[in-house]
Amino acid sequence: MRRVGIIGVGQSVFGVRGDVTIQELAWEAVGEALEDAGLTQRDIDISIVGSAGTRTYELYPAVPVNEYSGFSEKGPLRVEAACATGSAALAVAYNMVASGFVNIALAIGVEKMNEVDTATSLAVGGRGGNYLWEYHFYGTTFPAYYALYATAHMANFGTTEEQLALVRVKNQKYAARNPKAQFQFEVTVEDVLKSRPVAWPLKLYDCSAITDGAAAAIVASEDAIKKLHIDIPVWIEAIGYASDTSNITRREDYVSLKATKIAAQMAYKKAGIEPRDVEVAEVHDCFTIAEIMAYEDLGFVEKGKGGKFIEEEQSDIGGKVAVNLSGGLLGKGHPLGATGLAMIYELVKQLREERERGRQAPLKRYIALAHNIGGTGHYGYVTILRR
Amino acid sequence: MAEKKTSRKTVKAEGPTIDSVPIVYRHKIPISKTVKYWDGLKEGKIYATRCRSCGAVYYPPQADCPYCGSSDVEWIELPGEGILETFTRVYSRPQGYEEFEPYIIAIARVGNVRVMGWLINVKDERCVKIGDEVILSTTYIEKHNKYIITFQLKNKQC
Repeated sequence: MRRVGIIGVGQSVFGVRGDVTIQELAWEAVGEALEDAGLTQRDIDISIVGSAGTRTYELYPAVPVNEYSGFSEKGPLRVEAACATGSAALAVAYNMVASGFVNIALAIGVEKMNEVDTATSLAVGGRGGNYLWEYHFYGTTFPAYYALYATAHMANFGTTEEQLALVRVKNQKYAARNPKAQFQFEVTVEDVLKSRPVAWPLKLYDCSAITDGAAAAIVASEDAIKKLHIDIPVWIEAIGYASDTSNITRREDYVSLKATKIAAQMAYKKAGIEPRDVEVAEVHDCFTIAEIMAYEDLGFVEKGKGGKFIEEEQSDIGGKVAVNLSGGLLGKGHPLGATGLAMIYELVKQLREERERGRQAPLKRYIALAHNIGGTGHYGYVTILRR
Repeated sequence: MAEKKTSRKTVKAEGPTIDSVPIVYRHKIPISKTVKYWDGLKEGKIYATRCRSCGAVYYPPQADCPYCGSSDVEWIELPGEGILETFTRVYSRPQGYEEFEPYIIAIARVGNVRVMGWLINVKDERCVKIGDEVILSTTYIEKHNKYIITFQLKNKQC
């Protein structure tokens, strides 16, 4: 397998983007990634389009996205892994380059989620598990699935609603400074606690929003990187992957995501690092409880101590690992197909030390981790980057 | 980039739009291999399957055992009581459930498997605790013309 580096990244402004179609939105990220790499469409061998595509009128989004961005002959491959779609697209692009199938590949992640109303969106999200045995009978929603984990985590470990709220407070602190975030303001613990219940014990501010957005990354082989004279490539050291049962009733417990644990162990082993080596991370905080579980399942802190970890500011700049300096899914928004690649976008900028004051992680080892979950731990991807 | 500025800055760009030609999906879901389960719900019984070859128990039921490759499964009725493992009350309801009152989705340990159901007759979800004992039954839901599994707290009122 050949060494693979990231040479260009782009991201659209996230939010309710009623001003653009899916292909126009994708171009915002693709155009920026090409410019960032100093390449044109001719230099790209293949394009991988990641889109969950369950809420848009464009049911086969890869082809229109590719045509609009000027890749109509570049053999689009459409990838879907629910909310982990972006990471799955990166994994495909990585493997195509690592294997020698191509030299330079583009991974695009894009999602338009606001073309349908909220009730429809909840009905689509609630099918992100097993329609027949769960949604059909019980009207599960995506917030409800994570709320089942929150209830169990709180009962088992004494995790509090205030500790959950602190995750949102931290992430909004950084989202407020991120011009591409959906929600660019700070909140208090009280704001979170007072917000309306969505799926008890989760309240509105415990939940990521319904977001439109796009992100893209260009990956290349070590030879191509040398030929192109890329100044600061960011190397993909490892990609760990895992999955879990579609039926939530078949899970081993409701306090951790097995897909995170397996994917993390695989990624750490491949990269030859320990959890404590990670300096900056983007973790999958689709809900506040998800970030707490991620601290534990990624090995940043032992199981059950995630609430304490945020309380002691260990996941903030100056703590053990700086988590979600983009604002996370909570602050930045969570456009399913784009999310995994938006994590990569943020971490590449962090590793290049291009972030503005107050949002740049201090780095010594230059090791970053992206943790992207699809569904409720249905898919798990852990990607380790190093400058 | 179209961005609307408010005191709490949120990206919300509303442009002119047109309506798509609507598409309606009406799926027919095959139940021939699990018809015993669907009939059981009508009689207040909850069935799982057990592989006659290796003994693996499946809930939700499935007709094929992927571990030993056998499709020789038998139906077993689950016990009528269980222990609550986790729950949530759904306030933001999805399309198709909008006309229901906020409902409690719960998962209970029943024998060797876990079962999802609606926990009913509960006013205050904060008084429900993991580990509470529940009684299982089935309930007809007229709005969807279907039977579902319902739990009720065995030893307390909430």
